[in-house]
Amino acid sequence: MRGHGFLFANYVPGTSPVHRIPLWLKFLLVLACGTASFLIADWAVAAVALAVLCGVYLASGAGLRRLVRAVRPVLPVLAVLGLFQWWQLGGPAAARIVLNILVCVVAASILTATTPIQTLLDGVASLARPFRRLGADPERFALTIAIMLRSIPFIAGAYADVRDSARARGLERNPRALVLPVFITTVAFARQTGDALAARGLGDAEDRD
Amino acid sequence: MSIILDRAAVRVAVDGHLEPKTLLEPVTLSLSERRIGVIGANGSGKSTLLRMLNGLVAPSSGTVTVSGADSVRDVRAVRRRVGFVFTDPLAQLVMPTGREDVELSLRRSVRNPRERRALAEATLSRFGLLALADQSVYELSGGERQLVALAAVLAVNPDILVLDEPSTLLDLRNRELLRRTLAGLEQQVILSTHDLELALDLDRVLVVDTGKIVYDGAAAAAVDHYRKLCTADPVPKPPAGVDPARP
Repeated sequence: MRGHGFLFANYVPGTSPVHRIPLWLKFLLVLACGTASFLIADWAVAAVALAVLCGVYLASGAGLRRLVRAVRPVLPVLAVLGLFQWWQLGGPAAARIVLNILVCVVAASILTATTPIQTLLDGVASLARPFRRLGADPERFALTIAIMLRSIPFIAGAYADVRDSARARGLERNPRALVLPVFITTVAFARQTGDALAARGLGDAEDRD
Repeated sequence: MSIILDRAAVRVAVDGHLEPKTLLEPVTLSLSERRIGVIGANGSGKSTLLRMLNGLVAPSSGTVTVSGADSVRDVRAVRRRVGFVFTDPLAQLVMPTGREDVELSLRRSVRNPRERRALAEATLSRFGLLALADQSVYELSGGERQLVALAAVLAVNPDILVLDEPSTLLDLRNRELLRRTLAGLEQQVILSTHDLELALDLDRVLVVDTGKIVYDGAAAAAVDHYRKLCTADPVPKPPAGVDPARP
């Protein structure tokens, strides 16, 4: 398996003021940006919000390059979306929609770039704690999210590997030669992960003491 | 502190066959030496034997007990005592970086995030990995990855360490590093390997062939037995339970 170039969890260690913002406030910021994207009606306001968030991101010391890398994957989608909305609703509306989505992406990147995964998991676990009465296990909940985050790059990497080997055999136009091996690799990976978790005693039901 | 197998056997049902396939014939063993090796051909049952030791594979008949705890009824206690390292460290590292993976190991036992962090750093620095703690596990070399996996397993302080072919994916330099690290551990170590030099360092070596333990004794004699086995019979017999006449 090749080294998967990108991992979604892209924490950048640091001690900037942005790093020191408490986790709940960062959660709230992401939530607020998500809500605001429905409420902001003027593209100029969205542009200012985006500029401010980019400023916050850069203040964390994570650097312009990482910011570009965080935003790049959504750009093609945004381009298509923007063009379509321009045609349907005109320039200002299209700009507003695209800018609002970018605001959400940058806000989420601020959260992941300045929060270590363990802290994020602790946050998720404590969010799930009130549901404990209903039988929820907060630690398991957090672990599930961690495994999900880790598995996405693996599957992307598996796809890249399979595509290369299909190309080597001249099968790149055959969708079955692409989809089936990725599917099988993914199932094998899931079983392997299950074994590894079981061997380390992770995901066991919580001791009730 | 020892592992006792009492007529433990592993059989699995195979599609299209009435008889279950035997992966491991009943074995009775008492494993108490500090350094134990398991050698044998691919598919001979080494991994099955090792996986039984921490409850990853349950015996179909017989029992496996680790200092009194049954590997089926008391599987959590067994897994706390027996740490398991897989051949491919990427299969067992769940988190993107070494630090995070070691902290994940500690989540259950250490609730306070600050203590957990300190303990994770102490574990990583014990293996000389602190400088690599925040690098993606995908960016590490094979040997470094194997050491990170080892650190994540040893962070919770098991009494016994089981390693399934730990040196198979490593180059010579990394193999030496692993060998030195294992030699310095206070834990009881049980490992399977194709690396006969590594096997020669051990106190006791088991030779597994087609699901049976065919030799059990001192390292040099066991390696000798295995060499003879491979040269005398280069084409192994099909394992028991599989009918060679059937497709």
